[in-house]
Amino acid sequence: MELARAGTPAGLITTTVFQRLALGEMAALGATGLPLLVIQHPLGGEPPEGVSRRVEQAVEQLGAMLGGR
Amino acid sequence: MTHAVSEAVEATLTLPEEDVYAEFCRREWCDGLPFVPPTPERVRAMLAGARAKATENLGVMPPLWRECTVEKLAVNAVMAGCEPAYFPVIVAAVQAVLDPEFNLYGVQATTHPVAPLVIVSGPYARTIGMHAGHGLFGPGFRANATIGRAIRLILMNVGGGWPGRGDMATQGSPAKFAYAIAERVDASPWESLHVALGFEADQSVVTVFGGEGPHNVNDHVSTTAPGILNNVADVATTLGSNVGWYLSQSQLLVVLGPEHAATIAADGFSRADVQRFVFEHARMPLGRMKLGGMWDMRDWPPWMTKVTDETARLPRVPAVEDVYVMVGGGSGKHSCVVPNCTFSRAVSRPLDRLLPAS
Repeated sequence: MELARAGTPAGLITTTVFQRLALGEMAALGATGLPLLVIQHPLGGEPPEGVSRRVEQAVEQLGAMLGGR
Repeated sequence: MTHAVSEAVEATLTLPEEDVYAEFCRREWCDGLPFVPPTPERVRAMLAGARAKATENLGVMPPLWRECTVEKLAVNAVMAGCEPAYFPVIVAAVQAVLDPEFNLYGVQATTHPVAPLVIVSGPYARTIGMHAGHGLFGPGFRANATIGRAIRLILMNVGGGWPGRGDMATQGSPAKFAYAIAERVDASPWESLHVALGFEADQSVVTVFGGEGPHNVNDHVSTTAPGILNNVADVATTLGSNVGWYLSQSQLLVVLGPEHAATIAADGFSRADVQRFVFEHARMPLGRMKLGGMWDMRDWPPWMTKVTDETARLPRVPAVEDVYVMVGGGSGKHSCVVPNCTFSRAVSRPLDRLLPAS
């Protein structure tokens, strides 16, 4: 939140399963204005291709977020 | 009643009696079990049980970071079925879980099935009838059951630790319903846990240990301390455990049954000897650790990461003091090990200032 206030693009990243927890946290902490990047659950036990897919998901959303500024 | 939450509860309590339980379940205000309706009169009586102001805010409770007032604790203590005399224990336990060292956010939100185990030491445990004998982990004893349940209701209703949202434990745990015990001081060959932790013997102390449910240690044969403690160490050392992989926060609680404790003490072991034995023997060879998937998620100090000898036996907790030892239970040749949530540390709080003037 401090970064965002200072003008640096900032957001949160979560997995699909943890999305509700992340939204609850953001509301509780007054961070609902920040972007939330959501990548596929799970993170553990994934082969390198699975990790790459999640990186792509995050980068794609990050790009959209920055492009929309 | 001074808070909005309590006003909503109060409004719900005006429903026909048979509808109140269903409505609390529908609103996700309870643990699924029947409860005592928290009427204003009952909440006031609960508040009178401890020297703490109803409006006092103990902090914000994760994962939803809601204000944790003493009054909210009293509402949940009533629901759990507590007597007012139990309330100082509940306030102290909440103070303890809100200590940053305990990392309640981690304990609440982790996928690891852990819960704060409330351990009550000292004379007040006996005063309020905390049970330390046969079946101390339950069921059957009001003080243990309702204090443990009150803590869970507080974690859900105040903290927002609802399964699948704030509480992400993959499978949950029976220990998440109620998890509170006392020490079997009368059958312990050693000083009480709170004395070992630096408190005075006449103090009453609550210790919270973020742990899994108890893991059984069966030994009907050993007549020596090493015999029993080798079994304890082995139960504490499994590939699938969380303990050991995130080493800096790992802790183990060993609850020795009185018969095991007596055998161990008769062999000349002090409490410190038990801690050291478990620390030195609850170890796993490097080569065996590599068989488990968690090998790729280890978070170890530099000296451990440099070990290459496959037969080297590496520790599961960082220091001797991270093995907590207490005595509890009835007759029989069983003890247990409670592995911790490995990003939480046990925290103790004295009850002194919370006890009503006698």
